[in-house]
Amino acid sequence: MSSPSDNLSPLHSPSPSERRSEVVLSTDKLTKNFGRLCAVNRLDLEVRSGQVFGMLGPNGSGKTTTLGMLMGVTNPTSGSFRWFGEPASNLTRKKIGAVLEHPIFYPYLSGQKNLELNAMIKGTDPANIAKVLNIVELTERKDDKYKTYSLGMKQRLAIASALVSDPVILILDEPTNGLDPMGIAEIREIIKRIAADGKTIILASHLLDEVQKVCTHFAVLRKGSLVHTGPVDDVGKGEETVELVAYHDDLSHILHEFRGSLLVKAESGKYLVRMREGFHAVDLNKFLFEKGIVASHLITQKKSLEKQFLEILQEQNVEVRR
Amino acid sequence: MLHLLKIDLKKLTSYRTFWVVCGLYFITLAFTTASGMEFLKWLASFIHGFGQQINIKRIPLYHFPDVWQNLVYVSGLFKVVLAIMVVISITNEFTYRTIRQNIIDGMSRWEFLLSKILTNVLLSAMSVAMVFVIGLVTGMIYSPEIILADVLTDLEFFPAYFLEVFAFLSFALMLGVLVQRSGLTIILLLLSSMIEAIVKVNIPEAAALLKDLFPMQSISNLVALPFTRYAFQEIQDYVSWVAVLVALTWAFLFNYLAYFKLLKSDI
Repeated sequence: MSSPSDNLSPLHSPSPSERRSEVVLSTDKLTKNFGRLCAVNRLDLEVRSGQVFGMLGPNGSGKTTTLGMLMGVTNPTSGSFRWFGEPASNLTRKKIGAVLEHPIFYPYLSGQKNLELNAMIKGTDPANIAKVLNIVELTERKDDKYKTYSLGMKQRLAIASALVSDPVILILDEPTNGLDPMGIAEIREIIKRIAADGKTIILASHLLDEVQKVCTHFAVLRKGSLVHTGPVDDVGKGEETVELVAYHDDLSHILHEFRGSLLVKAESGKYLVRMREGFHAVDLNKFLFEKGIVASHLITQKKSLEKQFLEILQEQNVEVRR
Repeated sequence: MLHLLKIDLKKLTSYRTFWVVCGLYFITLAFTTASGMEFLKWLASFIHGFGQQINIKRIPLYHFPDVWQNLVYVSGLFKVVLAIMVVISITNEFTYRTIRQNIIDGMSRWEFLLSKILTNVLLSAMSVAMVFVIGLVTGMIYSPEIILADVLTDLEFFPAYFLEVFAFLSFALMLGVLVQRSGLTIILLLLSSMIEAIVKVNIPEAAALLKDLFPMQSISNLVALPFTRYAFQEIQDYVSWVAVLVALTWAFLFNYLAYFKLLKSDI
């Protein structure tokens, strides 16, 4: 991957064509309290058609509660949301394929019968079942009881059940939770294939790497509040971090003097300088040179989503402390 | 509506426990109701003087129209077996959390409950049909002569029996929705008459009329005990409208409470 800004495609950043694309989900100050605990706090989200929308957040940050409200199983304390621009009802849910938390099926029914039941509730043609069983590679085991399935097979059946009605939107909550690396790779492949079909996908996960690999947009939740939302490709834009080694007794002090430095950290013999927006490694180099210091090592760090995520959470911590 | 019933039946018809419990229910029901004369003979075999002083063949247990109330009353004692099946069916949805997925998949909470209520209606109707057929057959066998007017007398016990079973199954469904755990729900179901009896004992005589308003009492008030008539006592050989009204109200309340609970809770 070259610099992240090189691979911006119209789908991945808010271009005029996307701004016109239909809003499939919007929430308005959605709130859920469990007693005194505020699980979701005045959440405003917008998901447009064609996006693969990642919901990130540490465990307990309100991802599942949010999805539970969007899917009608958790009653919101206040606020509202709209699917396809209409107020939510069980009829709008029929157009959505969703699996929250763990796969849920009748253990004494076979995979096939469970999917037939899903299709009946959704009111769709059971002819789809063979197709979706094929997608998740469960055709051979379809007549075995669900309780005999391995965890990976259960997760795959869950994806099949979400796909059975050929929904326009797919909601997956931690779809790779508890799977081995093989299983994770398989599920990721399935998600990418589905996304390539042009379906809108909302994916909740605490695995940043997963979101970066499959998502086009993401939102970060922390203690029930939205702390960031934007395209995945914007990650790495804006502020950058420069890794620096130079020999000077008072380097830390000098680095702090630099107008462009936001945060200076010493780490295993190197200095990490987080730059203010608009400042780059070249500015730092120039500054040091003017001070008579020559850097022996100067690298702009590529920011992964993981880093950005941790930074976002850290900023929030600072703000909360203030 | 039919679609909702089909959904719930699809869950049940591949569930072995359902067939075992329902099979047991309908077989015991059939055998018990059909073997009344054999039961009398068995009593006569060891109760001194029973077979001699009273000719058991003279007891018109299965004669039209006696047969209707007799069979309906005995059948009513077995409804608890069916109610346990209803409890298992609803509490499974909570333990497996499948109610959550049903709603995520696009059922409304009311539709979910309605699918269960419709199954209760079906089970009640099947009980009625079964007892009616057994009554008809045994009546034809044992009645000395078959008079159409006698056959058609007292048929109002069947709607009453339907209400009796349905109200009790509604009670079981509501308990299941409120308690959500099968073991505890079944224990409460079995104890409910006893708990009610304890409460009733503590009601002062002045307010004795209130006793007929209690849920379990109102359900059993629908069809009165008929057998004492063979010991020359007067019995209530009709269905009282007050009892119907009270039981109907309870059936409605049970289902409404279940709905209210589902509506208010996070699933």
